[in-house]
Amino acid sequence: MKYDVVVVGAGIAGPIVARNVAKAGYSVLLIDKKPAIGSPKQCAEGISIKVFDKYDIPYDRRYINREIYGARIYSPSGYELELRYNEVSGVILERKVFDKMLAYYAAKAGADVLARTEALDVIRKDGKVAGIKAKHEDEPVEIYADIIVAADGVESTVARKAGINTYAPPHEFDSSYEYEMLIEGFDPDLIHLWFGNEVAPRGYVWVFPKDEDRANVGIGIASDHPQTAKYYLDKWLKENNIPMKKILEVNVGLVPVGGFVKELVKENVLVVGDAARQVNPMHGGGMAEAMEAGTIASKWIVKALEEENLSLLQNYTAEWWEKDGKRLEGVLRVRRVTEKLTDEDLDLFIQILSGADAEKIAGGDYVEVIKALLTHPKVLMSRRRLSLLKELL
Amino acid sequence: MPEKIRVVVNEDRCYLCGGCAGVCPALAIEVHASGWEFFQDRCIGCRICINACPVGALSAEPLGVKE
Ligand SMILES: Cc1cc2nc3c(=O)[nH]c(=O)nc-3n(C[C@H](O)[C@H](O)[C@H](O)COP(=O)(O)OP(=O)(O)OC[C@H]3O[C@@H](n4cnc5c(N)ncnc54)[C@H](O)[C@@H]3O)c2cc1C
Ligand code: SF4
Ligand code: SF4
Repeated sequence: MKYDVVVVGAGIAGPIVARNVAKAGYSVLLIDKKPAIGSPKQCAEGISIKVFDKYDIPYDRRYINREIYGARIYSPSGYELELRYNEVSGVILERKVFDKMLAYYAAKAGADVLARTEALDVIRKDGKVAGIKAKHEDEPVEIYADIIVAADGVESTVARKAGINTYAPPHEFDSSYEYEMLIEGFDPDLIHLWFGNEVAPRGYVWVFPKDEDRANVGIGIASDHPQTAKYYLDKWLKENNIPMKKILEVNVGLVPVGGFVKELVKENVLVVGDAARQVNPMHGGGMAEAMEAGTIASKWIVKALEEENLSLLQNYTAEWWEKDGKRLEGVLRVRRVTEKLTDEDLDLFIQILSGADAEKIAGGDYVEVIKALLTHPKVLMSRRRLSLLKELL
Repeated sequence: MPEKIRVVVNEDRCYLCGGCAGVCPALAIEVHASGWEFFQDRCIGCRICINACPVGALSAEPLGVKE
């Protein structure tokens, strides 16, 4: 088999690349090791409403479970901060349908798609990566391509076998565990987030509603923590008297939350999405980041093919770092500061903010949020809190 | 001196999520569609995978001390 481009991984980033490159008229093959693209899901399925227009994805009810109007945040002692918008701010997807439909859009645009096809290694010719050694069911297949895209998620096997350094230290991963379950008593128009060092070390517990009484209930904690994510989620459910007898799914995964890959391209191999550690380090959302990286990567793949000049691929690294990379490095700095907050700090900050100008907070005016915190006497009296907050300005 | 270990999986707990393969600095774990695989010769005994697994499916068996 010979293609202009082979894309390994049909999660979020892969199908976006495959669709965009196929649309430009080049031959593309998209492969995934799963027998059913999208299944099992490894996701809480929350995403901003903005992505549909921005990345030209139909707003299709087949993969939109629920529209969301904001968030409610809970501090360790139970103080609450609600951010509610008048309009829909995000949606909870059905990723099993969404991922498959993204692959369908790629196929409709002209790409070939092969499920149950696992990349095992790269093929090298004269020291260069010339394609992918794969397995389709029990048949070995060799796929040759001018350009190879590693969109293979957190495992990042293909990129690493091609010699791209995607290593990130263990502290830069979140270990995540989730139940899709029946759960009652939570406003289904909001996502719900619980913070606290005893609740979820470094991370948070989430309830993302899919129905009035059904939600993704999960947790992310630092992956170098000695206890498991499952231990903390089960503990939280028990402490909150939430019955665990109506569990529809169990989802497990690791989320890279830092350590963005420096060199996103090595000769004719590109790495995108979780494989490139392109995830928001604060909340662990990576779908929008995967779409953005896939869009930038596909733009330069098309240019490189048009001009028959593979060195143009390097512009993907440059453009990503200039746009998303810089922003996400900023978010990573904020995460490192918030990691130092004690439960008392979290209680106090959420208390202060729930009394502050909610409009500004909901509008994401981050400097205003810090200013609101900095004027409070309990912050002013603590040198430690002052210096932590000033690190954020 | 790093302890030489064999990483073992409890297949009944493992979800084949691929996380341990992703955090392993030595490409000593591969998670295939059909199963979990460990490569002893590549493992550097850092135990990162064991801590990271969200469900505690991995453990270590000692193999003696590396020179
Ligand atoms: C529990 C959990 C909750 C999350 N919640 C959210 C959320 O609410 N919102 C959000 O935006 N993000 C969330 N994320 C993160 C989000 O899921 C990822 O950032 C996103 O899916 C990244 O997309 P991707 O295309 O890079 O990789 P993936 O979606 O992981 O896709 C990679 C694909 O590659 C395939 N693959 C891997 N290796 C091979 C191989 N060798 N050969 C062939 N195919 C291969 C896999 O089967 C997979 O389909 C969550 C993650 C977890 C684990
Ligand atoms: S991290 Fe745990 S659950 Fe995931 S593949 Fe590895 S052993 Fe299995
Ligand atoms: S102990 Fe370290 S090197 Fe060995 S398999 Fe686990 S993560 Fe990889």
